[in-house]
Amino acid sequence: MLKVRNLHVFYGGIHALKGINVEVKQGEIVTIIGSNGAGKSTLLNTITGIVKPKEGEIFYKDKKLSLIPHKIVANGICQVPEGRLVFANLTVKDNLLLGAYLRKDKAEINKDLQNVYEIFPRLKEREKQMAGTLSGGEQQMLAIGRALMGRPEIMLLDEPSLGLAPLLVDTIFKIILDIKKMGKTILLVEQNAFKALEIADRAYVLEQGRITLEGSAKDIAANPKVQEAYLGKRVTE
Amino acid sequence: MTGFIQQIINGLSIGSVYALMAVGYSLVYSIMNFSNFAHGGIIMFGAYFGFFFMTLYKFPFSIAFIASGICAALMAILVERVAYKPLRDRRAPFLYFIISAMGVSIFLENIIIATIGPTFRTYPEVFSTQPIKIGNMAIGRIDLTMFIISAVFLVLLIYLIDYTKIGKAIQATSFNMKASALMGINTDFIILLVFGLGGFLAGLAGVLFGMKYTVYPQIGNITLKSFIAAVFGGLGSLQGAVIGSVLLGIIETITSGYISSQYRDLIAFVLLIFILVVRPMGLMGKVTEDKA
Repeated sequence: MLKVRNLHVFYGGIHALKGINVEVKQGEIVTIIGSNGAGKSTLLNTITGIVKPKEGEIFYKDKKLSLIPHKIVANGICQVPEGRLVFANLTVKDNLLLGAYLRKDKAEINKDLQNVYEIFPRLKEREKQMAGTLSGGEQQMLAIGRALMGRPEIMLLDEPSLGLAPLLVDTIFKIILDIKKMGKTILLVEQNAFKALEIADRAYVLEQGRITLEGSAKDIAANPKVQEAYLGKRVTE
Repeated sequence: MTGFIQQIINGLSIGSVYALMAVGYSLVYSIMNFSNFAHGGIIMFGAYFGFFFMTLYKFPFSIAFIASGICAALMAILVERVAYKPLRDRRAPFLYFIISAMGVSIFLENIIIATIGPTFRTYPEVFSTQPIKIGNMAIGRIDLTMFIISAVFLVLLIYLIDYTKIGKAIQATSFNMKASALMGINTDFIILLVFGLGGFLAGLAGVLFGMKYTVYPQIGNITLKSFIAAVFGGLGSLQGAVIGSVLLGIIETITSGYISSQYRDLIAFVLLIFILVVRPMGLMGKVTEDKA
């Protein structure tokens, strides 16, 4: 469904992505794990057009993807950005409606709004509150709900568990599985490799701008190097 | 007492035109986070557009007025494309934007001096100088027109921003451009729209000022006041810009009426500085709290 071919990205003189190849198939959860600064967010931002690549191509359903963010969104690709970036100056409801910005089918938008409220009853309770007054977990729910309002086919989630209490982390990962069951494809970037590998079908390990490992999530989780570096297990010889 | 009410009415009239200019500043600031000092040049061009439409082309006032707004809007968009977009594309620090804006402002002023000349020009008489009498009060027709026209356009603008989809998109873009782009909002278009709206209102303000006073290349300097009014009300907040401008207008007319017109700017600005010291974010500034 989504293919990234030989992607190179530079920030000034810094070579952030050094020839990345990633593929996501319909209906999968694919996770990209890696430490801080490995280039995980850069990869997502390049797919959604926020960052421009120097070299390489991105194909979506075998067609070359545009480089302009709003055209990419129109294709059915939606990113839930790191740090949630909810519009703190607008109400919860307005945030959700902005998620449906490109849609014109009012009745269907309303239906989706009710669906999102069903998934996240908290958001319904706080519908008229400014999004900035929500807690971190609620903001993450809002960010995911807002993305769902655009009816994307593929969702790119950037560190959805960042800064959340353990109990909330579990909730968020459960919701991600629910979203998969709704028929959406998910590309998940996470530092919480343990949780991410638990729910993912396939995984890539990104280190300093390069993919160093790829395979089924099970294999990756069983890999001794991954266990030591990302899962906090000491490998005893 | 009637004298006092009359001063208030004059203050409202002048303040509402300040507000037309201030909202343009505020809109651009809220999205781009820099003070667009080229705004004064757009106001001046608006005044000249109106002047030439009415004298050279003999347009009736209403058409000249709207046409000047549209021309000013196009100019503001052109300024954005030429002077700011290249900086945006390179993600230049905001100081560069301010310097570029100042350059544009000086350029616009001097191109008028070089081509049309530095002389003061007077608009043809559109409204009779005969004031409208209500009881003991005499209200200038121009003042009343200025107030009504400005109020109508300000209400329309606030409605657009607060109650329409495109308005919400403008607010979203002002909060976070990346997140807005991820919603499918064409942020580049939103920026042009904001410059266009600000430019349109600046053009209208230019015509109104030109009509009340005269037209000259430095008329854009009057925006210094609207800029300060926008800061006073809270940069980035439209309602704040309007309230700040109207207060400034009233403070000015009351000072000129009861103390001396020489003290007008002195007192007005001392008061503004005082308010900013006490409340740096302005009256209704963008204090977007974020708990998480």
